[in-house]
Amino acid sequence: MVSAIYIIATGLGAGFLIGLLKDDRKGDAFFLAVAALAAMAWISVSWTLALTAGVAEPQQIITAGVQPPFAINLRMGLAEAGLLSVITLTGLVSAFYLRPALMQLGRRAAAVLVILVMALSGLVLTRDVFNLFVFFELIVIATGGLVLLSNDKRAVAAGFKYLVVSQVISVLLLIGIIFTYHAQGSLNIDDIPAQPMAFTGAGLALFLVLIALVVELKPFPANGWALDIYEAAHPGFSALFSAASATTALYAADKLFAVAGPDWLPLATGLGLISFLGSNILALAQRSDRRLLGYSSVGQIGLVLVVLGQRDILGDAYLYVAGGILITHAIAKAGLFWLSGLVTGRDLADWAVLRANPVLVLAFASFVAMLLGLPPFAGFYAKWDLAHTLVAADRLPVLVLVLIGALIEAGYLFRWFGMAMKRKSAVAFPGFALDKVTAVIIAMVAGWGLGYIWGAAGAHPNLMLATPLAFALLFLVLEPLPAWAKNLLAIAGLLGWVALRYPDYDPLQLVFALVMLAGGAVILLASFHVRGRRLGFYPPAMLMYAGLAMLIDAQTSFQFFAAWEILTLGSYFLILRGQDSEPHALSYILFSLGGAFAILAGFALAAMGIQPFALVNLAAIAEAGLAIAPWVFVLLAVGFMTKTAAIGLHIWLPGAHAEAETDVSPMVSGILLKAGLFGLWLLLIYMGRQTLWGVDLTHVLVWIGALSAFLGAVLAIFQEDAKRLLAYSSISQMGYALFGLALMNHLGWLLALMFVINHFVYKSMLFLAVGGVKERTHTKLMYKMGGLITLMPFTFISVLVGIIAMSGVPPLSGFGGRWVFYNAIMASDLRLPMVLIFITGPIGFLYLFRLIHTIFLGQLKDEHRKLREAPFWIVLPQMLFVAFLIAFAVLPGMMLRRVDAYIATITGDQALTWSGRVITSEFGYWNPIAIAAVIGAIFVLVLALLLAINHNATRVKQFNIVFSAERPYKPQTTHFAWNFFAPYRKALGFLESPVVTTFWGALTDSLHASADFARRIYTGNGQTYALQVVAFVVAVYLIAMGGVS
Amino acid sequence: MYLVAMAAGFLLILMGLYGALTHRNILRMIVGFTLADSGVHLVLVAVGYLPGRTAPILDSAVPLDEAAQRIIDPVPQALVLTAIVIGLGITALMLAYAYRLFRTRKSLDIAEFTELKW
Repeated sequence: MVSAIYIIATGLGAGFLIGLLKDDRKGDAFFLAVAALAAMAWISVSWTLALTAGVAEPQQIITAGVQPPFAINLRMGLAEAGLLSVITLTGLVSAFYLRPALMQLGRRAAAVLVILVMALSGLVLTRDVFNLFVFFELIVIATGGLVLLSNDKRAVAAGFKYLVVSQVISVLLLIGIIFTYHAQGSLNIDDIPAQPMAFTGAGLALFLVLIALVVELKPFPANGWALDIYEAAHPGFSALFSAASATTALYAADKLFAVAGPDWLPLATGLGLISFLGSNILALAQRSDRRLLGYSSVGQIGLVLVVLGQRDILGDAYLYVAGGILITHAIAKAGLFWLSGLVTGRDLADWAVLRANPVLVLAFASFVAMLLGLPPFAGFYAKWDLAHTLVAADRLPVLVLVLIGALIEAGYLFRWFGMAMKRKSAVAFPGFALDKVTAVIIAMVAGWGLGYIWGAAGAHPNLMLATPLAFALLFLVLEPLPAWAKNLLAIAGLLGWVALRYPDYDPLQLVFALVMLAGGAVILLASFHVRGRRLGFYPPAMLMYAGLAMLIDAQTSFQFFAAWEILTLGSYFLILRGQDSEPHALSYILFSLGGAFAILAGFALAAMGIQPFALVNLAAIAEAGLAIAPWVFVLLAVGFMTKTAAIGLHIWLPGAHAEAETDVSPMVSGILLKAGLFGLWLLLIYMGRQTLWGVDLTHVLVWIGALSAFLGAVLAIFQEDAKRLLAYSSISQMGYALFGLALMNHLGWLLALMFVINHFVYKSMLFLAVGGVKERTHTKLMYKMGGLITLMPFTFISVLVGIIAMSGVPPLSGFGGRWVFYNAIMASDLRLPMVLIFITGPIGFLYLFRLIHTIFLGQLKDEHRKLREAPFWIVLPQMLFVAFLIAFAVLPGMMLRRVDAYIATITGDQALTWSGRVITSEFGYWNPIAIAAVIGAIFVLVLALLLAINHNATRVKQFNIVFSAERPYKPQTTHFAWNFFAPYRKALGFLESPVVTTFWGALTDSLHASADFARRIYTGNGQTYALQVVAFVVAVYLIAMGGVS
Repeated sequence: MYLVAMAAGFLLILMGLYGALTHRNILRMIVGFTLADSGVHLVLVAVGYLPGRTAPILDSAVPLDEAAQRIIDPVPQALVLTAIVIGLGITALMLAYAYRLFRTRKSLDIAEFTELKW
């Protein structure tokens, strides 16, 4: 192994050597700089590899041939080696990225760059506190020089502000160092004994050192100077400043906090939390991309500072957790800054130019996911372990604050991503420089690689090795193929997986697997209608399916949560593809992530630090009657209900489902919603009834279910947009399912399961039908349609069958659902929600009637006279569903019987008796075949009668309409389908007042307003910033010491 | 005596910081920081001073075996040299910046350079 001191020697040597070159030999200077950086990177990486593999021991380097404390010593351990790799590699890539600027400014700039990386490496290696100061000042000087590489004129002022603040910091640091030396008699960090946090000279000295190091981390609110650098500097340098400088400064702080003792850790936690929350909130008001990245950097470093504050409880996991977040952040932030160099405009929406290159879009998405700790990246494992450790050590408030901060960060990052995907690019496509694109790709690959390493290194299963996820990621590579080939492979993959896993599933898993995966394959048939390559569709779609497959298989809470986040992420990208879906996709991901965080907290609370935590252990917690059990229940239930869009958490659903593409709507409606039901199902099976403050929580769920069913239906009848109507209907249907589940009896669960199957079938079918109509008419507004029955007969049939099934009239399977349902509620003793559910039935008829009437009946529109039937591939799955519905109506026993038996093993009773084709319950019997026969006979009779009297019918001419006492205001209001249920609206309109939307809107608006107000503390005046730093230090000292005395 | 030096050092730091944080002229701010730096240096030296001892120069006047008892702590003196050099570097850089700032705006008022904010 090459000694680590050569990293510093190489840097210094190259710096001086470049200084000796002639001014005009810029090329040589650049080559020397790159060669030096490459050598430094090689030493760092080889150390990392050797230390990980265990072939090398951590190295203690003494200088001047004298033992410390009489000379400076350095240490090369695993943490140092890892960070040095990050620093030197970032430096190397940034050097290439900065090449044009470096060549322009000449050899001095190249020398300064090498010196900066050298100083950063030195800061990581040194164990001497004064040496720490020296390297810090070197970094300051080098930073001051490199800021000027920018073409932005404002960078000069930013650099000066930075120097001003650095002067203040260096005064604090020096005073702290000299008095620490005075108290301890040594400058060696390892000689500093743990100090109590108290009003002693040594305590104050240590405080000054620590706070100076913390201020170097640009903590909120003493960080205006850093934000200016991020905004104005060259992106290649900002990448270094964020990825390398901030990482290094954090490590320096870590060294001192490690020796200072546990007394000081709450200080780190507190300052970290303030920084993480504060800068994330303020970032909400940002429109400038690089400044936003600056805020995000500050926030993330704050998060790692929080982790640092937990080192007493993290123990051996400390490096894994802190390193996971820190290195992921470094890679992602470097990548994002490098990306920003490819975008010419500085507004967030200007990132839309990235769409010119799908690889860059993938990179952007990867970086956002990395920053937010989503799977399969390293931050995900770190987040999981951190949450569990925090809860086990009774530091729940810290976890809650961290999760709130992360949610806010997700808010602005995903909003930004949405803008980049959906907005029109205001700036011209600049043409991407290959070297810059290469830098971005390197960062992306590094991030994925790190995710793999973290997966392999931790105690958890490596997500990237999970077959479904690997299969989904394969589609990233297959993107150049035509859509039909990818579609074929996707369908084969889904069916193959079900076939493979089929023998191991229990009946419940089987039902969900058939609905989610086999059903997904059927819906994918509709995707054959898209020609071309359909870039960006298959990776997210398969990501969602991978998440679903993993969710069904999940045995432990970790697997479940990972699958949950994967399917959330995949479905977000899928929903975002829709035409006007930008705001809806955002609210979807925010609600989903909020729900996911609730689930994370719930699992962490349940596990109490024990890993891995099998899902069945939830039952043990419930049985033991632990005080936390109801809280676990509440957190998990809330998490799952964000996915089923229970009322109050539903506002994302209508837009997300309605704006999605034709074949995506059934996926996210018919399939994705079931993930929430699956979770609720497991929760109720394992935890059963829980009581909180004397309230039976399942009763609360029953009420939520009934209200969702009722209000969803009411909202559906007033929609003009056919897909929105269907979307609101989903809220209602999921309400039914939740209601059934929460009844906690055998029939209720059977009912919920019938809803899982039925809702999938008819909602997928209806969404495809309406989607097919939209493909032809180019509108979703029902009053712009009419009379399509003759032009689109197959679509009409599927809508007809769909609404019959859905409304629960015989003979189709919806009736079976109703039958089980009425039995279930009669077996329960909850009267009031039962009434609500009963009322919901007829309201369901209203919107279904409107759907078929206004689209297919009535007068044909002039512009629609030449329409054709919907594309074959959209009609085909509908016809399959029609066939299935009819078969399922006649033979409900196919699947139900097995499931019924399975539920009986859980509830321990047998509510239904199956004899031949007849199903008998406590309250009556149901013979599907007889019913089908009777209904069929009646239908034939009535049809014959109508045909017989048909000659008496008068043909109504077009425009022969009356307005039923409703005065038309606008041309379209003369159409009967506009405001179809006007009388009901007069009566029930108050129910559709957007209370929930207003609530969430007010919440986000007030956050934005306070962000916009609060960020004015950053006046732009360097002097104010310096003053803020001083005030910050004094305030922290007073508060911290106030805490001890 | 060394207490006087130390007090003077802290006084200089406070004066320097006060000056740097109240004067809006960039050159005056730089002077303020230089003053504060000098104060820090004075404090550094004062911390290493031990009453009644001599300079840490090992020659005929201070035999090697008595050195530990007769000289003052040499470490802060070494540190202060480094700190002075670094301070010089930073001051030079700040002055260079001041020059460039003046060229962009024809002004040395720190409050003029606030395009980057919020």
